[in-house]
This record gives sequence, C-alpha cells and structure tokens, in this order.
Amino acid sequence: MTALTKLATVEVKLLAREPGSIVSMLIPLFVLLVFGSSIQPGDTTLLPMTLAMSVGLVGLYLLPTTLASYRERGILRRMSTTPVRPYTLLVVQLTLQLVLVVIACALLVSVAGSVIGAHVPGAALPLAAALTLGVAAMFSVGLLIAALAKTGRSANGVGVLLYFPMAYLAGLIQPVDQMPALVARIGEYTPLGAFRQVLGQVWTGQSPSLTLLVVLAGYAVLIGTAAAKFFRWE
Amino acid sequence: MAIIEVTDLRKSYGQLSVLEGVSFSVAEGEIFGILGPNGAGKTTTVECVEGLRKPDGGTIRVLGLDPATDGRALREQVGVQLQHTQLPDTIKVWEALDLYAAFYSRPRDWRELLEQWGLADKRNARFGKLSGGQKQRLFIALALIGNPRVAFLDELTTGLDPQARRTTWELIKQVRDSGVTVVLVSHFMDEVEELCDRVAVVDRGRVVALDTPAGLVDGLDAAHEIRFTLMAACDPVALLADLPGVAEVTVTADRVVVSGRGDFATAVTAQLARHHVLVSDLRIDKRTLDDAFVALTGRSL
Repeated sequence: MTALTKLATVEVKLLAREPGSIVSMLIPLFVLLVFGSSIQPGDTTLLPMTLAMSVGLVGLYLLPTTLASYRERGILRRMSTTPVRPYTLLVVQLTLQLVLVVIACALLVSVAGSVIGAHVPGAALPLAAALTLGVAAMFSVGLLIAALAKTGRSANGVGVLLYFPMAYLAGLIQPVDQMPALVARIGEYTPLGAFRQVLGQVWTGQSPSLTLLVVLAGYAVLIGTAAAKFFRWE
Repeated sequence: MAIIEVTDLRKSYGQLSVLEGVSFSVAEGEIFGILGPNGAGKTTTVECVEGLRKPDGGTIRVLGLDPATDGRALREQVGVQLQHTQLPDTIKVWEALDLYAAFYSRPRDWRELLEQWGLADKRNARFGKLSGGQKQRLFIALALIGNPRVAFLDELTTGLDPQARRTTWELIKQVRDSGVTVVLVSHFMDEVEELCDRVAVVDRGRVVALDTPAGLVDGLDAAHEIRFTLMAACDPVALLADLPGVAEVTVTADRVVVSGRGDFATAVTAQLARHHVLVSDLRIDKRTLDDAFVALTGRSL
C-alpha cells in the first residue's frame, strides 16, 4: 500500500509540474470567460461546449503524451524489474487524469454557474451518465494513441492533430448550424460530437438520446479494446 | 556457491537466433563480466536472467529461484540498471530514490546512497537537469536501493568522461566489497580488465570463453614481439633464435625484433643478461584483453 501511495503522490507532483495539465485546464476556462460576457443568463450552450473541450484536451492530448513518454523513456520497463508491476503506474496515471478531468469540469461548472450565470442542470443521473460515457470514449481514443505512438512527442503530435478536426466536427470551433449539413451530420457521430450533443440535451432538460449514449459506449469498448490489444510495454 | 546458474539458454526473435546455448555460473560476491560486441546477445542474456524476457529454452536459477515463475520473490533481491532508460524530466533526485525505496520491503536508506554516490548536493535537482554522469550514478543508486544481493549493471560507464569512469569503478568495487554480487555487461575492455573477477566472452549467441581477465590474456596463443637496440656489436640471431618460444629474430642495423609465443620475453632478457649484452630502448608488446578478444571472436570491438 505504501508503494501505491508513494507512487500516487509522486505522480500528482509530476502532473502538477507538467505545463500540459495546466494548459488543458485553462484553455476551456479561458474560452468560458471570454465568451461568457456575451451569453444570455441561463445559457445552455457554452458550458457543455467547454466541458467537452476540457475532456477532449485531457483525453486526446495529456493522457497519450504522458503514457507514451513513460514507455519511450523505459520507465515502465525499469519498473518491471522491481517488485511493483508496471501496470500499477498506468492505473495510477489513468486515475489521476480522471481526477484532473473531474476537477476541470467542477471548476468550469462552478465558474459558469456563479460568475457568468449560465444554466447548471439539476438532473444528476443523466449528467453523470453523459460525462462517464463521454470521458470513457475520449480516454479510449487517448489510450489508443498512447498504444500506437512510438514516442511521447509523436503521441503529442497525433493528439493535437486529432483534437482540432474532432473539435470542429463536434461543433466546438464553429456552431453546428453554420457548418455544411453533411459535415454536421457526420460530426454528430464522432466521439466528441456525440459527447457534446448528449451534454447539450442534458443542459436543455431533455433526456439524453439513447442512440448517442450507445454510440459513446461503443467507441469506449471498441477503441479501448484496440488500445489494450496494441499496447506494448516497451 | 553459485548465485546465478544459467544452462543452455536459447532465445530467438522470429527467424533470428540470438542465444544458442549460453551457459555460465556466477559465484557469490564476485564481479562477473559479460563481454561481447554489439549484437552478440549480452543484453538478451541478462534480460532473461533478470526475468524481463522469457527464454525459448534452457534453465536459469538466480538465488535458487526461476525468474520466469518466482519473479516477485526474485525482484525483491535483485537490483537492475538498464541501458537506455530515463526518468521523467521533472522528477527530483530524492523523489526518485524515495519512490523506488517504497517498492521494496527492506530498502536501504536512500540518504546514505545519495551521499555515497556523490549526489547529496543534487538532492533537489530535477532529473532533466542532471549531467550524464549524475544520471548514471542515480541509476546505479536506484539499482542498489532495494538492498539487493545481486546487481545487474548494463553498460555502466557509456557516455561518461574518463574521470567519472574511474570514480564509478571505485564505487563498484565498494559495492562488491559490501557483499553484493555484481553482473556487469560491457563492451569496454579496460573496464572489464579493471573490475571483473571473471568474464564470459559472448559472441554470436554463445559463450566463447570464460576465465579471469588475466587468464583470458594468458590463454592467448598469438605471436607478439620484443624489441631493443644493441649498444655493442654482437650476433643476436645466434644468441636468441634457439630459445624456447622464439619464432623469429630480425635485425635491422642495431635494432632487433624478436617475435614468439608464450612467455619467451623472460627467456630473451635472461639470455641477454647472461651474455652481458647491453641493450637500450627495450619494449615488450603487452598483450591485452583486446588481443584475447580479437583472437576469440575474430574481430575487434
């Protein structure tokens, strides 16, 4: 147990020293504050957008970069020569990044609710379901990048390269109603797009579309399985 | 008593056969060297012994345990320094030592290791800011943090300056003197000659020789030379050609070159002294581990 506690403590410190973790927290917050001044009270669009953005940044950028660089640097291999198994490090990292996402979302929701006066939904269960499946889908994409990328740098590159088209298709860069109809239609079924829509439904008080929840779960299972299959310890 | 026993170790990667029956044993308390050219199978051998790789055939016993099945118990008693490993750039020296100490049930005090390996003033430095030598010393300290009975050190001094290499060698001797058995993988002759009690020379997946470094050199049956300048006229050919071990005596003006095998140099110098022949500028080609290596593997490093 002491090994696990110590590992978690050190990894928290390392994550806090990593500029990427701060950036992925601050970019959505920045977007929220800049556009927050021009929204109507009770707005139901901006906050879910920034939440999707935050989960997308951590899942596509921070998570794969960290894990791929741990493998590239031989840290997992070095650990496998000690009594502690290297998967412990992966589990600790994954947990910490989840905690980071939760903190980032909580920060966004509390700032949006208090300072900006955006709508915060009261239905906890649909919100929890949407967030859980959305995070699972985005993290599995991140894990697949980590599994396939040879170096931390290339994982970083692929993550950033994937983030922008995915964010565009999800309607995070340009409003969906201004996008070509076909592109918007495709975007609805991308992981980030499905996630944003489900969040939007929760925010406007609808029950989230079962189809989209199944799409998100499907992404999580399929991509997650592929990530597990392709993952190499060294 | 043998602390490591490796018998007929075999390993191939696909079609490529890397180890073709490697056998050796390491005695408790010695520094055992594994020497060989790049790609000879040195690292694969130690990685099988460390339990990082599964061999295709043969048996391995480390402290009486099989790395493939008793890995957990074994890893408590074994320390490893791997080639090409890094730590996260932002981790501090003390944090790395403190973390790795927590992985073992009976770790050493990391503050002591920090002192011993000259890292005390780098305690709060981040890994990414350390010099090559400091990083290497940290990796050795990490290999010893679990209070191991055996330490595996792979390419210990690669990338270190000559001064840092000497310092590292002295520290490795101290490690051995403290009772830890050391297995050293190296392709540096001077390092092996200086440190190792015994050496296995590995080439093309086989152990081609196993002896003390001096034993390897002595076993070398290759011609070498002794040269000197005559200070007074005499006939060196008549004097030296029939001595045991001498193959050839060539004279160019007053410069004499005697070539031969075995310990013929003693016979030559004794004969010169007996006949009161004064010579100057006497040179004996010292045979080194390099020569032994070339003779064993047919190539130099």
